[in-house]
Amino acid sequence: MIYLDNAATTPMNGEVIERVQETMQKCFANSGTPYRIGLDAKRLIEKSAESIAGYLQIPSTHRLLFTSGGTESNNLFIKGLCFPDKKTAFLGLEHPSVTESLAFFKQFGNDPLSLLPFQVEGRLDLNSISTLNENRVKLLCLSHVNNELGTVNDPLQVASALEKESPQTKLFLDGVQAIGKIVLNPDMWKGLAGYSISGHKIHGPKGIGLLVYDSRLVLSPQMHGGKQQFGVRSGTLPLPLIMGLETAIQQAVERSEQNQKHLENLSRRLIQGLKCLQDQQSELNIRFNSLIDADATRQSPGMVNFSFSPVEGEVVLHHLEQKDIFVGMGSACSAQSKEPSKILMGLGLNEEQARCSLRISFSENNTLEDVDQFLEAFGVAYQTLYPTFLQKA
Amino acid sequence: MTERKTVLIRYDEIGLKGKNRKYFEKCLLKNIKRELSCSDDISYRSPRGRILLDIPSSFAQECTTRLKKVPGIASFSIGVSMAPDFEAISALGVQWIEPKLLSAGSMKFCVRTRRSAKSFPQTSPEVNFEVGSRIMKQLSSKGLTVNIKEAEFVLEIEIGRLETVVFDNREPGLPGLPVGSSGNVLCLLSGGIDSPVSAYMMACRGCRVHFVFFDNQPFLGRGGYDKVLRLAKKINRFQARATLFVVPFQDMQSAIRDHCNEENRVVLYRRMMYRIAEEIADRYHFLALITGESLGQVASQTLENLAAVSCVTTLSVFRPLVGMNKDSIINKAIEIGTYETSIEPQPDCCSVFMPKNPVTRSKIPFLERDEGKIPWEELRDDALTRMEIIKVDDL
Repeated sequence: MIYLDNAATTPMNGEVIERVQETMQKCFANSGTPYRIGLDAKRLIEKSAESIAGYLQIPSTHRLLFTSGGTESNNLFIKGLCFPDKKTAFLGLEHPSVTESLAFFKQFGNDPLSLLPFQVEGRLDLNSISTLNENRVKLLCLSHVNNELGTVNDPLQVASALEKESPQTKLFLDGVQAIGKIVLNPDMWKGLAGYSISGHKIHGPKGIGLLVYDSRLVLSPQMHGGKQQFGVRSGTLPLPLIMGLETAIQQAVERSEQNQKHLENLSRRLIQGLKCLQDQQSELNIRFNSLIDADATRQSPGMVNFSFSPVEGEVVLHHLEQKDIFVGMGSACSAQSKEPSKILMGLGLNEEQARCSLRISFSENNTLEDVDQFLEAFGVAYQTLYPTFLQKA
Repeated sequence: MTERKTVLIRYDEIGLKGKNRKYFEKCLLKNIKRELSCSDDISYRSPRGRILLDIPSSFAQECTTRLKKVPGIASFSIGVSMAPDFEAISALGVQWIEPKLLSAGSMKFCVRTRRSAKSFPQTSPEVNFEVGSRIMKQLSSKGLTVNIKEAEFVLEIEIGRLETVVFDNREPGLPGLPVGSSGNVLCLLSGGIDSPVSAYMMACRGCRVHFVFFDNQPFLGRGGYDKVLRLAKKINRFQARATLFVVPFQDMQSAIRDHCNEENRVVLYRRMMYRIAEEIADRYHFLALITGESLGQVASQTLENLAAVSCVTTLSVFRPLVGMNKDSIINKAIEIGTYETSIEPQPDCCSVFMPKNPVTRSKIPFLERDEGKIPWEELRDDALTRMEIIKVDDL
């Protein structure tokens, strides 16, 4: 099997599985109880949070909450800070857990400001920051790494632009696709009001994530209950998942430089290979939706999104599936769901280009051989399918 | 010994049958036995006009949910089988009524008797009086009154030739005819809302419904296939022993798409599906085809197009939903529990095979001319050889 959809999820690392299993077997106690085994569990969680803060070099000004994953982290921060009437802005290319959280405010008469007119190559044009000031925006929500394109909004650049042009606007980044794929600069934290991380995107367990946020901010809880985690996020903490997350983050950070290089090699090979295919097959027309030849401040090396009209991405996906190759896509070809990817459309693609696209996303487990096999299978699938789709067009 | 209950099952339409009645009764009894086979502690008997089961009390609730899935039952009651002794029946009545009466403060009640054993010395009204007066004697001081029209508690007594059953409840069953009594049919199952409902409706007319699904892999993923498996399983809850035929349809569809008129595509796909279904039906001796088509619902379901599709087969084609509107189909789907699965977003046809403007009034000679351009017999036979056959009970 060749798995090239690591932006959807990643397989768990052996060490992570071991850590989760071991904790499941040994520590069952509720970390909120006053007796010894409960206190032991609590201590483990505190230690784990400290270690995570250490690995990510999170400064003491920021607080760390365990959540069920990226979606919850995004909801908790955005709704917890801005509900119901604080003015928000977003680029319009974010993950639904961001855009839908913001859209939720609309029913209270608080329309989020879309900066889509200011997107360039899938990133926020920093010249637009003054708009935020004019609109008295309190929170700007962006993806650190875009989940379909891999394009990067560099936190340092955005934060410094905000500081200059719109100092009252705080910055929240959805970092789910960033960690483990690009090296995180620890200087970014001081410009960030909030940042979300998900376990299963970095070879950790599903059902666990993090919200890192500036502890001076008051978040109203979205989940009420036993007042765990400063009362902001109630619910008994899942100790085994937290242990697994810690190990996953440790490995992601330790290997991030080496990973970034490895991913760069893979994506370079893929881009090169696609260009070669294009030269060989006159009917193949590749349009790269991700940035090529860009450094990690503009494009994550873990992801390559490209279009190839007129053949539909979903059909290619299923043909590759038959060869045991699994890739991602942003849009569906079904007669029922006619919606093509909002992100690709937002980037300015037409409906056909958006439909005829695939997203390849790598992890450290992938090899150059995987890329070559994909290229070969893709070439064959395209050639087989092209006549069928040519007629349609 | 565990406490026992008696289940009294009343037939639906079988009651109207004449000389064939025995056959239908046997079918229903067989289906009930299969449905309740999860317990081996049940005894069955069928005196005239009824089916009686003797079950452990602990099985009563499970039995109720299961019996509600067996077509051919008008209603059923769970009670106690006893001798037709007025004292004993009244005592049981008091035992059932008293707690309810005490918590409510007052209660209207009546006794209803049905006497199929005409040899029994008292008439039904006499039994009502005998039992009712005994109960009143004990409970009238606690607030019990007799009210035949607005009774809140009805104590029912069925006096049969061999046994008497006393009960206080009636559960509606699934009306219609027992599955299998009409024969085997083949339903063209898609992943949509309609075809599962049509299959269910035919199961309630005594058919054992088998399924055929036309699979689009690899153009579409395995999602559609998985969904149909789940739907077949859900419908099979009402009948058991169904077979699902999964026919690879991709090559046929590609041929039609590449060689035939674009606007005719959908009707041509359907004609081929009917032809393949007919072959399967012939092999397995199924007596009719069932579809979820409803008149005018989509372009392929106009009168002309339905006629153009039906004429490729000599089998009867039944469309139980033909006169239903979408809302009532949806309600039925919700009722039988297939709706949630049907609406899962799963493509059932890739847009590349869909025409921009499908024909609404197709002409058979044009369709035949189109079909002349492709080797459809070969494609059909090839699809049939590659067909997967799944026993739905095993899923």
